[in-house]
Amino acid sequence: MPNRKPAAIVFAAGLVVIVAGSVGLLLTRHPTPALRPVAAGVAALPAPTGPIAAPPQSAQSAPVASPVSLTIPLIGVKTQLITLGLTVGGALQVPSSTSVAGWYTGSPRPGAVGSAIIVGHIDSLSGPGVFFRLSELRRGDDAYVKRADGTTVEFRVTSVQTYLKDHFPTQTVYGPTPDAELRLITCGGAFDPATGHYLSNIVVYATEVSGTPR
Amino acid sequence: MLLAASALLLGIPAAATASAASATTGTGWIRLAHLSPNTPAVDVYLYSFGNSSAEIVLHHVAYGTVSPYEAVTAGDYSVAMRTSGASPSSQPVLSTSVTVKADHAYTVAGLGPESGLRLQVLDDQLTTPSGKSVIRVIQASLKQQTVKFTCGGQTIVPKATFGSVSAYQAIPANTWTMQAIGSGTTATGRWTMAPGTVHTMVVLDGTNGLEIVNLEDAAGAGQPPAGGVTTGFGGTAGHGPGSPAPWLALIGAGALITLTGGFRLRRHGLRRQLTTGS
Repeated sequence: MPNRKPAAIVFAAGLVVIVAGSVGLLLTRHPTPALRPVAAGVAALPAPTGPIAAPPQSAQSAPVASPVSLTIPLIGVKTQLITLGLTVGGALQVPSSTSVAGWYTGSPRPGAVGSAIIVGHIDSLSGPGVFFRLSELRRGDDAYVKRADGTTVEFRVTSVQTYLKDHFPTQTVYGPTPDAELRLITCGGAFDPATGHYLSNIVVYATEVSGTPR
Repeated sequence: MLLAASALLLGIPAAATASAASATTGTGWIRLAHLSPNTPAVDVYLYSFGNSSAEIVLHHVAYGTVSPYEAVTAGDYSVAMRTSGASPSSQPVLSTSVTVKADHAYTVAGLGPESGLRLQVLDDQLTTPSGKSVIRVIQASLKQQTVKFTCGGQTIVPKATFGSVSAYQAIPANTWTMQAIGSGTTATGRWTMAPGTVHTMVVLDGTNGLEIVNLEDAAGAGQPPAGGVTTGFGGTAGHGPGSPAPWLALIGAGALITLTGGFRLRRHGLRRQLTTGS
């Protein structure tokens, strides 16, 4: 009789461990959903006030001042613009901070003829970055770039595209354009935890418009 | 592995849209130019094909004027020139049709002498070799029938005849002195040709001899970056379910403990049976 009780306890304890293990297994079978913004549809920021510079009026190019800040009212973006170059490998540099965007100095200045390139992070290791809501933009939405001389240029979105990084259309995104355009670029698509990178890029195409009220 | 595979699957629609990227915007560009020296100012109309109301009207366009590019939906258009101030419903002096392809740019130019005025549709280039600039020359001087065009002393076009348009050619990006050399007259200008820019140099009859106008047709990143950008750390990305291994190990351990307990219970039961049986 003396050994019977401990044996029963061991048996019961084993059952408890099995149940605990099963419950734990079942509870952790659900993936953590991606943190994605809910489209508000209302401008999170007011549009900048003051005059909007006119797009180039003649085919002869006039110099414009360098960009200092970017505002996208609909998605609450208001950021200083740092300057970016190329990495040793020839790729585009990205801002070291995930909360500011940068302008590629090898591209035309925003408001001059050509495609000006601005890059920002979608997220950091822990949360949203400056271009977290970039993919919410749609044709007709506005973006404003303020320049060093105090002038502001207004751009209107013409298209939003998602490209696999393996099939990035370099010429379409970085190639010459005959009018003043803007390209806003960030990451998107699926995230590959093995490499720690997103598999796609989101590119917002916008064209300069004159400051006439809509 | 599974995650990566499903991510790749998810990525397929994105790749499909990528190839049709620019087609979705479906716009091209068009600009209008008056480059006929002895033709008075004109009104220029751009009509979408089959539509009698003009999409763009430029009034009183004088010799030497080139409009900025207008973005238009890809499709067929017609361009009509009327004497400045003439009724929009009057018979145009000249008209031509132009097919605008998506992501292509065109210059519709009135070229030649007034007596032989023609509307020519020029395909404008939107690419450059990496790190270079490209230029072409339009010779629109009637006073100088033939002009030699040079850039940094190098001949770009040896004999540009009146009304001719040269092909684009690549030049190193730099600040260049360019010259239009006629007989007994030379026009000189100095411009910075940034990498990734496309230019049309127009030779005009100025008030005094020749004149060069530098048109920037297009501009892009002089040195296009290689590929896309790495702008995310995944802090807002979804994560798949964690590994089931620890839980499975726990269940295994539980099974072992249960078996041990059950075995002892059984052995105990057997001994008791033996005891009561004797």
